[in-house]
Amino acid sequence: MTIQARHPHLLRLTDPPVILGHRCTSCSRVAFPPDPYGCEQCGSSCEDLEELDLEARGTVHAVATVHRHHRPYPTTPFTVAVIELSGGPVIKAIVAGSQVGVGAEVEGVLVQDLEDTEGNTLVDLQFQVVQ
Amino acid sequence: MSETNLLRDRPVYVVGIGLHQYQRRSETTYVELGITAARSALRDAGITWPDVQAAYTGTALLGMGSSRIMLSRLGATGIPMTQVENASASGSSAVAQACLEVASGRSDVVLALGVDKPRGGLGAAPGQAGIENLENGTVVPFTHFALLASEYMHLHGVTAEQVAKVAFKNHRNGASNQYAQRQKVRSMEEILAEPISGAMTRLQCCPVGEGAAAAVIASEEGIRHLDLDRSRAVRINASVTRTEALYGAGVGIDAALTAETGEAAFNQAGIEPSDVDVLEVHDAFAIEELLYAEALGLCPPGEAASLIESGEFDIGGRCALSPSGGLLAMGHPIGPTGTGQVVEVTRQLRGEAGGRQHQGARIGLTHMVGIGAVCVVHVLSRD
Ligand SMILES: [Zn+2]
Repeated sequence: MTIQARHPHLLRLTDPPVILGHRCTSCSRVAFPPDPYGCEQCGSSCEDLEELDLEARGTVHAVATVHRHHRPYPTTPFTVAVIELSGGPVIKAIVAGSQVGVGAEVEGVLVQDLEDTEGNTLVDLQFQVVQ
Repeated sequence: MSETNLLRDRPVYVVGIGLHQYQRRSETTYVELGITAARSALRDAGITWPDVQAAYTGTALLGMGSSRIMLSRLGATGIPMTQVENASASGSSAVAQACLEVASGRSDVVLALGVDKPRGGLGAAPGQAGIENLENGTVVPFTHFALLASEYMHLHGVTAEQVAKVAFKNHRNGASNQYAQRQKVRSMEEILAEPISGAMTRLQCCPVGEGAAAAVIASEEGIRHLDLDRSRAVRINASVTRTEALYGAGVGIDAALTAETGEAAFNQAGIEPSDVDVLEVHDAFAIEELLYAEALGLCPPGEAASLIESGEFDIGGRCALSPSGGLLAMGHPIGPTGTGQVVEVTRQLRGEAGGRQHQGARIGLTHMVGIGAVCVVHVLSRD
């Protein structure tokens, strides 16, 4: 059994976790998720996109608790939020607990509650209200 | 680079409309769905299949090569046929291609057809783009729109009950539409039951079933040559397609894309948003109708919910919004939906919508958004 990131290209499993985005060296646009093809702002190729660490911290713009889901994971109900990261990009991620409201300051935490079909533990990023 | 206004210089008209009812997936083949709508549109136009010079089929789910096996059953006349795929806007894009073909002068009579049958899963290409994202597998469309509802309600002090009134109105409209998948007036209690995601409940999410819609598009020359009933012809004044651009962090792409597509369509048609009497918009989820009513300039941001509540967007109100029942009640079989909007608006502008007629309707608009993201708007009018 091993521990793996559910999204290995998007996260660094440090404490606190780091979100991986990109910055275009040609036009300076910062974006998430990191793109394997090119820059949507200036059209530069992926060679001009450098990896950029984004702090897993931001402000909640919207929340929704999901009651129906077509996959076994996450188990319902779970809550998803739109989060504007302190580094600029806006992401959607699962938030821990249903008390997270619009305007809340949240930070990323790693959660290990998922097993894949081979019995490996997958680590995923969730957000919680800043302690 | 110059931009010509083809539809101003070479008038294009809808001269025939037809539908196959939108319904739950059944044993009916797509061929049966498609030719039912096509035959109905030909009959409505008063023409026969050999009069049609080209066909565009809007479909997203059937797989390759659907048109000829279907339309040749009206007679294998050998005309050019092309499938058009633009996600939820496929049927709108079939109309757009037919407009272009007629306005260009290549043909005088063209069929735009939308047809689909869901086959379990939509098979959307963005998921296969090789771009990993945190939300993949977690945020499906109903949650994307539930999040937009959360933001909208917070920003404008609107309640979940107010958002649900969109569905109340559209289910009521759909109840008098014999082609709708959902034909029941629903109580607010029923609409607010069965939560799916955030404020979106089952009856605030559109049903994806099967069906077909057809529109015969013709030029002035086509109308003259075939001696068609000019009083029932509805002109297409604008046909605009745009795709998502960059709007800045945190800006809702669906509304921003709709705003710029709508503005381009109003410019092309030479009208103002306040001139529009009847609209069919992409209300796949109830919150969308509020966002798009505002993005299209029907009212200032944050005011659509209270205008819905006070009946301003009812049939017989300031303008009729989703008189067919919209995607929420008429249904969203994907390929047919955009063509079906043109069918409904044409019916309204002709004054032939029976129990759901918006009196005096003269200018109409259709609007679809598709995964990708793409937006297609048409403006139609009668003299
Ligand atoms: Zn760039």
